[in-house]
Amino acid sequence: MGGALRVWFRSKHTLFWTFAFPILLMLLFGAIFSVSDDPRFDLYVQNQDIIGGESSPFSATFVDMLNGSGVLNIKMVDPTENTAEYIDDEGVERLLLIPEGFHQSCLNYSASVVLKMVPPEVDTSSATVKGLVESMVELFNTETSEVEVKQRISNLPVESLVSENYRFIDFFVPGLIGMTLMTTGIFGAIGWNTRNRELGILKKLATTPLSKFEWVIGVVLFELVMCAVSTVVILVVGVFVFNIRVLPNIYSIILIAAGAITFPGIGMVIARFVKETDSADAAANAVSFPMMFLSGSFFPLEMMPPFLREIAKVLPLTYLNNGLRDSMVYGNASSALYNTAILLAVGIVFIILGSLITNWRDE
Amino acid sequence: MSKEAVIQVDSLVKKYEDLAAVNGVSFTVNRGEVFSFVGPNGAGKTTTVEILVCLRGLTSGNAKVLGFDVSDRKGQQQIRKRVGVLPQDFNTFDLLTVKENLSYYKKMYDGGMDIDELIRLVDLEDKAKTLYKNLSGGLKKRLAIAIALVNDPEVIFLDEPTTGLDPKARRDVWDLIEGLQEQEKTIFLTTHYMDEAEVLSDRVVIISYGKIIADGTPSELILQHGGKTTLIVEEGGTEAHDILRKKFPDSKLENGDVLVPLNGKSDLPKAVMTLNGNKTKFAELIVRRPSLEDVFLNLTGKKIVDGELN
Repeated sequence: MGGALRVWFRSKHTLFWTFAFPILLMLLFGAIFSVSDDPRFDLYVQNQDIIGGESSPFSATFVDMLNGSGVLNIKMVDPTENTAEYIDDEGVERLLLIPEGFHQSCLNYSASVVLKMVPPEVDTSSATVKGLVESMVELFNTETSEVEVKQRISNLPVESLVSENYRFIDFFVPGLIGMTLMTTGIFGAIGWNTRNRELGILKKLATTPLSKFEWVIGVVLFELVMCAVSTVVILVVGVFVFNIRVLPNIYSIILIAAGAITFPGIGMVIARFVKETDSADAAANAVSFPMMFLSGSFFPLEMMPPFLREIAKVLPLTYLNNGLRDSMVYGNASSALYNTAILLAVGIVFIILGSLITNWRDE
Repeated sequence: MSKEAVIQVDSLVKKYEDLAAVNGVSFTVNRGEVFSFVGPNGAGKTTTVEILVCLRGLTSGNAKVLGFDVSDRKGQQQIRKRVGVLPQDFNTFDLLTVKENLSYYKKMYDGGMDIDELIRLVDLEDKAKTLYKNLSGGLKKRLAIAIALVNDPEVIFLDEPTTGLDPKARRDVWDLIEGLQEQEKTIFLTTHYMDEAEVLSDRVVIISYGKIIADGTPSELILQHGGKTTLIVEEGGTEAHDILRKKFPDSKLENGDVLVPLNGKSDLPKAVMTLNGNKTKFAELIVRRPSLEDVFLNLTGKKIVDGELN
């Protein structure tokens, strides 16, 4: 009994799973779901009802009310912008359009505003935003109507920003691919490096003309192949079992490749500080678990409190997830390229860092 | 044939913080020689090897391998191309076969030996398709030595190639090393087994606490420091001891055996005749020649048991 306890206590691996892991998960989820303090959802608003260079009185009142909700983070869009193009270029997920003639229609109790958004099946925040907008419309109607039974805004059409009829699984698959690239890359690189260090293979390689850079590149390329295999497996199961409709286009494939070299690069840097197989697992877990939950793999970043969203901004997986979702679900190429660029930059930095600090001897 | 120095080490010092693992070591290894670096664990053997194969930097002094300075970046590249190393405690990929393992390491070099020829050389033809993890300890070591040969190196460093092997496997490895010696490869061997160094080496350097305490051929060292050849009269007891002591005053009684140091060629027949003439009883007569073990014992007052000073 005492011996077992000692063995257990001295193994970094079990220590991680017994203490660090539950604590980590509790802190993570506690933080993620403690949204009640300050939930804010982005809503773009384009007011096209301009009279004499200024917003019409009713439209101005409505926008003020939206701003005053305290829950919606209103971002005004210039009335002259082409709505569809703006949505594409900026990767907008929810936009409320106040059409030209809104004021006039309000006078006739027949106004409408159009809510263009990603369907709630794909992004759960959309359901909340839709509800919020509906209650703001109700508030507007009660406050401005002179005749109680009549409503100034009588119509709130909702338009989907996604052409296909997506379900949650379609939102989930890009996140799953992102997560898999991350775990394959980080666990693979750290595990491979540590196992070979223990066997004495790294030391042996250090006596050959092979350079550390070549070694790191070799490991990264190997993990790239592994990542490609995992991605294909996910997509095949997705298509045949769940009949998913999101499939990677050329932009998402470039992005996947960028992710598949970035995470092993990060793994090689971590591997430098890991000596035994036990600690290798612990280190890989400690890095990948928080990243998995804080980078929007399983739920939208907007659900998280602001400080976690700030953390998400420095996690490379965030960029992979965002880019994959934008390109696969919303067909947004520019977002994919932007996120590819960020991932590649991070990846190259880590690969270079990895080949500089990789240590082949055991001290 | 004139001797060509392939390894030259001059006043080599390696300090870890304040501890000097190697403390002013100088020696030369000539081409075609089997050179043994002998000493207990922690004497500085592996540190010296790792400096020579450019795994570690040195604190002070000079070391050249094949004329290239181990501290010079370009020199290191040349050394890595031309030497083959079996690091201490080396294991290779479990799930690759003998042949696949050899091919893997061969890719690190330009050219080198033909893999099939190499497998023949280390006598692993039957096992070429066996996974590394399914090889016996002795065969694993043979593959490891083969891996050190993939680039057809000019100098081979074998760091404790027989530690942990059973006696039969050790003999196999010795045969392999002797085979390499016939091909006139230069071999730098470290070991804490005195018998191994004695059997295999053309030249031996004994190192203790980071300093060289003896350097020479095994026979030179035994002649200088090994002491005398001894006649052992097994189970002779006090009776034999009393008789022999008259003519050989240095005789000693140890656990019932009488040990008689022999000074010249005539001493052995003289002792035997003395025993015969008195009809002394004993179990057996054994002539023990001094070995490197005696050299180490005489120089340090200690023995090496399982690699540790005793």
